[in-house]
Amino acid sequence: MTVTSPTQDPTTPARPRTPPARRRARRQGAGGRLAAWIAVVVFGSFALLPVYWLLATSFTPTQSTFQYPPKLIPTDLTLENFRRLVDNPQLLTYLVNSVVVSLITAVLSVIVAAYMAYAFAKHRFRGRKSLMSFVLASQLFPQSLLLVTLYGLFDLYGLLNSYAALVLSFTTFTLPLCVWMLKGFFDTIDDGIIEAAQIDHASRWRIVHSIVLPISAPGLVAAGLFAFVRGWNDFIFALTLAGPERQTLPPGLVNTFVGEAAAEWAPLMAASLITSIPVVVAFIALQRFLVGGIAAGAVKG
Amino acid sequence: MTTTRQRHTGRRLGDGAFVVMLVLPGLALLLAIVLYPLIAALVTAFFEQSLVLPGRTFAGTANIASVLEGDFLQLLNQTLWFTVGATVLPFAVGLGLALALNTGIRGQRVLRGVLLVPWLVPGVVVSFLWLWIFNSNYGVLNGVLQSLGLIDSPQAWLSQETSAMVALIIAKTWTSFPWVMVMLLAGLQTVPPELHEAAKVDGAGTIRRFFSVTVPHLRGIISVVLLLEFIWNFQHFDIIWVMTGGGPAGTTRTFAVAVYETAFHGLDLGKAGAIGLLWMVLLMLLVTVYVRFADPERAR
Repeated sequence: MTVTSPTQDPTTPARPRTPPARRRARRQGAGGRLAAWIAVVVFGSFALLPVYWLLATSFTPTQSTFQYPPKLIPTDLTLENFRRLVDNPQLLTYLVNSVVVSLITAVLSVIVAAYMAYAFAKHRFRGRKSLMSFVLASQLFPQSLLLVTLYGLFDLYGLLNSYAALVLSFTTFTLPLCVWMLKGFFDTIDDGIIEAAQIDHASRWRIVHSIVLPISAPGLVAAGLFAFVRGWNDFIFALTLAGPERQTLPPGLVNTFVGEAAAEWAPLMAASLITSIPVVVAFIALQRFLVGGIAAGAVKG
Repeated sequence: MTTTRQRHTGRRLGDGAFVVMLVLPGLALLLAIVLYPLIAALVTAFFEQSLVLPGRTFAGTANIASVLEGDFLQLLNQTLWFTVGATVLPFAVGLGLALALNTGIRGQRVLRGVLLVPWLVPGVVVSFLWLWIFNSNYGVLNGVLQSLGLIDSPQAWLSQETSAMVALIIAKTWTSFPWVMVMLLAGLQTVPPELHEAAKVDGAGTIRRFFSVTVPHLRGIISVVLLLEFIWNFQHFDIIWVMTGGGPAGTTRTFAVAVYETAFHGLDLGKAGAIGLLWMVLLMLLVTVYVRFADPERAR
């Protein structure tokens, strides 16, 4: 996704054809660079100033957030907000739930998706195209509408307020995602490897388990991380299908901070920061794996 | 190790049973937790059914009629405003940044990484952050605008009809533009530099080259990005629910919020299903129209 060739299109100086054209082209180059910087500064501020404000507020003492106009550069930094979060056992429960549910979702999604994706990538069978479209489309249906039935369905099986309900509901969006990511990954595996194994009389399952999946380890990890992040970020399913004992951080934070305690902005920003960190870390890891995975594929394939 | 059979089945042709076993777990899961719930939810539209009481009675088109006679047009109007705003604005920001980064300015890689952060954070965090920024009493937006002399007194942005919708669109834009940027940047990097060179030799200026070289080359990516953004925004829930809950006075209520509220606060599954049915029919119509216009070749 964010893996690109290092060769960028540089602001190439104009070809020296005729002097006026050359001067004009160069002026445009400078103008273009200026425009580029303006765009980066303006849009970049829009992107990053809120991040700064999140960081600044989470290290500001609560009473200092009740100042108007707010101090743009906080002077009295503190860890008080984070300490208050640690002292709240309910928030710890949400955190544990988030980790458990996202982890199980990721592992389950990758395992189920890997087999399906392998079939899509390396086998041609009737209904393959329509099945692939169905998998792709299945993540485009609105969650609030699915919930109209999912709630009753989980209730029927006594699964409301359980990890199982959260894992299953998260799988509605992580499974299609993993199938498509892994299919892309398996597509890059050279058929020759599989054929060679077939000639050596390896069974079909053995080919999958001893050759395809090990080669694809970086892809499996990448898909798993993506699924983890998507599960971690989910709000509506965890809000609806679980109560406080099983809820994950996003709905947990809404329940804790929105409403009665709506004024607790500093601890809320600290909690938001904590909730965001795993996602950002996962993404940094993911980027490495994507790069490594593609490089490995090039060597081995 | 069955040896003889394998030789006969050939290279890619799997035996049916093997493929079925590969596909079945995933397929069964998707049928059970996506397709069945979706169809069942749409069918609910024709029943009188409560979230908490067992049983249901056939109601014909009563639910649908009641939605159409009720706030349907308002919901449609508000959903479209949010969808169009939250699709166009991130596109503009993402395109601007993609073009800027593609000029090869210094620190391009680092910038691209840092600019992704708003896309990574959970929707709930996005909502909290912008709630705090737009806060009427101590919000930093009021503080900055007032010190610049642009407003006389702190504004309650989220309690006024228009500004509440704009605030939601801004928050959604903030978290959406990085994805647009990454997609467009990837597309831009596939434009062969020779095309620009050739156009330059022919005397085409920057703007001319943007419209006659860059845009045609990016057509495919642009239409996919806009389509997906449209679909996602048409169904967006998290930010609206946390920031305004559909308020003030229902003026930021969208289909997603209405379905959720009707089902889980109003406990009226039949009506929620009816809203959902109309919503999905509309989405399909809009997507079909879009595909016809944006991508006439693929539509055929």
